[in-house]
Amino acid sequence: MKILDIAFKDLTRSFRSAFAIGMMVIAPLMLTGLIYFAFGGASSGTSSMPAVKVGVVDLDVLPANSPLAAPLGQNIRSMFFDDSVKSWITASDYSDEKSARIALDNQQIGVAVIIPQNFSEDFLNGKKDVQVLVISDPTLSIGPAVVQNMVTMMVDGVSGGGIALQTFMERQQANGIAIDQTQIPTWIAHYTAWYADFQRNLFHHPDQAAFVMVAPSAGESETANPIQKIMGLTMAGQMIFFAFFTGAYSMMSILREDEEGTLARLFTTPTDRISILTGKFIAVFLTVILQGSVLMVAGHYAFGINWGEPVGVGLALTGQVVAATGLGVLLIAFVKNSRQGGPVLGGGLTALGMLGGLFTANIPNAMPAAFNMIANFTPQGWVLKAWRMVMDGQSAGDLLVPFAVMVGMGIVMFIIGATAFRKRFA
Amino acid sequence: MNAIEVEKLKKSFGDFQAVQNASFNADSGEILSLLGPNGAGKSTTISMLSGLLAPTNGDASIMGHSVTKEPKAAKKSLGVVPQDIALYPDLSARENLIFWGKMYGLRGAALKTRVDEVLDIIGLADRQKDYIGKFSGGMKRRVNIGAALLHKPAVIIMDEPTVGIDPQSRRHILDNVKELNRQGMTVLYTTHYMEEAAELSDHIAIMDKGKIIAYGTHDELIKMVGEQTRIDITLNTEGENILPFWSKVEGVSKIDSLDGKVTALVDDSNRVLPRLFDAASKANVRITSVDIQEPNLETVFLHLTGRALRD
Repeated sequence: MKILDIAFKDLTRSFRSAFAIGMMVIAPLMLTGLIYFAFGGASSGTSSMPAVKVGVVDLDVLPANSPLAAPLGQNIRSMFFDDSVKSWITASDYSDEKSARIALDNQQIGVAVIIPQNFSEDFLNGKKDVQVLVISDPTLSIGPAVVQNMVTMMVDGVSGGGIALQTFMERQQANGIAIDQTQIPTWIAHYTAWYADFQRNLFHHPDQAAFVMVAPSAGESETANPIQKIMGLTMAGQMIFFAFFTGAYSMMSILREDEEGTLARLFTTPTDRISILTGKFIAVFLTVILQGSVLMVAGHYAFGINWGEPVGVGLALTGQVVAATGLGVLLIAFVKNSRQGGPVLGGGLTALGMLGGLFTANIPNAMPAAFNMIANFTPQGWVLKAWRMVMDGQSAGDLLVPFAVMVGMGIVMFIIGATAFRKRFA
Repeated sequence: MNAIEVEKLKKSFGDFQAVQNASFNADSGEILSLLGPNGAGKSTTISMLSGLLAPTNGDASIMGHSVTKEPKAAKKSLGVVPQDIALYPDLSARENLIFWGKMYGLRGAALKTRVDEVLDIIGLADRQKDYIGKFSGGMKRRVNIGAALLHKPAVIIMDEPTVGIDPQSRRHILDNVKELNRQGMTVLYTTHYMEEAAELSDHIAIMDKGKIIAYGTHDELIKMVGEQTRIDITLNTEGENILPFWSKVEGVSKIDSLDGKVTALVDDSNRVLPRLFDAASKANVRITSVDIQEPNLETVFLHLTGRALRD
């Protein structure tokens, strides 16, 4: 009973602290809200992204004796001027890279796409490092990422076309069919038209372009709103980051009690030390559960986030709570006082959150591959993985491995931390 | 029956011996003061009695329960008022008392009734819903005491409960201590204010440098000084300059200087004072005031240690 009394007292104190409430609930909701409004406050399928201003510098020229009817750069350029993207891309031509950069610096455009002079020639000669330069305003994130994605897909498509043509010609020759060289431009034109149409269908709305930035997965609902999906992962990243913060911050109450003298006073009462510690651990555990639940409900109603199936959500939330509590106990066990706690929480948890991929949840390739590997060694990385799976509609069975890892990590960290605390206050 | 028994209690921190073989008892229903300057070992002694520190050697018991062998039983009979405020500033006075009552095993109606009683005892019933963080220092001290009274302990330990508070709150606390004692509580009261020890105590244990150097009633301790008189002398300069001269004056048994004031124990003030004036003139030191006092606990401390008690 005393254990619960101690836990209840800690919970009361936590929820009376404006700072704690701010960091537990308000900050993650506000940060997610900022991203939400960056998407135009979208929560339904009719949402739209703010227009992306793209400056195109098409320097590409057709080389002599080219089988192409027009330079390949023109295909890239026309993609940004296509009627299908006019609702969300405002494109304008620039004569050279310098003028495009000036426009970018003056924020007249958000992204500049530079197609080099010898783009078609290099491509036809089979050069492997054919490049289109994409320069963006560093204050923007989503728009440039979408444009870069479109350029990449177009260049990949052109490469695919080259490979397809090569293969077609080789097969013709292998079957003893003579190749009519005059038909090559027609074949290329056919392929280009097909690919442009494919791209047009793909990018008729920015949601689709944004959608391809999120790794597709099996079982994904075709009717899912991609903006909501992005918001879901954003909110999950924020929720996980602040859950770990809350775990450690709540555990800091033991340091504050030590400094306030109330811990020593507790030790003078006929209450076992293990009961005092357990009461505090339970308070941390309950705080993280409550925080996660509040954020999930708020995320659902404020941003229309679909968290997934209840069983999967339960597993992910439980794993998150156990891992956050475990890490909180572990970190604070080795902190001398509450003043040291600030940098540990601020620095340590931010670094672990970054390594776990919490801040780049929507951009899978934003970090080098090595970082994706490192994420597997952080509890935050596994919690994010679990939420990603739940929101992708994967079954509870699929979640068992990340769940086991989260709980396992949490328990190990908890045992180490709790042992250190017991020694410290023995 | 002894409510408190301390037997050769010892506490070392590395090479430093904070408490050295301290032994004393307190009868049930009495007030025992542990008097000594800061750093004498008083707080370390009561930390061992209240189960915060494990003794290096020796043992102590509260109402017959050893603090080392039956700590839980000993703690049930004990209420501890720490020297510093140990309350939750973001809980109200009532919430604090309820929480501490629960830590002593009180529940339900009994807890509610007792909290109301304690709020009346400490005189804060009308402020019970206010957060502790908004209280004055004196009010916090009163709640600090109240939190130790909830389970009606047989023994209460108060560690310098009047440090740094206004005279009105101090008076209130001293009256509380007397009232609690009248109700049958045994009080172990640590202080470095000899006036408090003299006013409250049935017995006084004087502690210095980790040792109990004297134990007895107020009158018994005063008798240790004999017929000696205490003289407090204020100078126009630091007292240390004159001490080497005055310590050699005939009739001066003990002399010490503190805070610009020299305190001396002399056999016969009428005969010794002229000699002190003469020595001061020769040392070119001017005496600005002389106060001849009856022996008190400070005199006893000076008599026993050769040092003044004040801080």
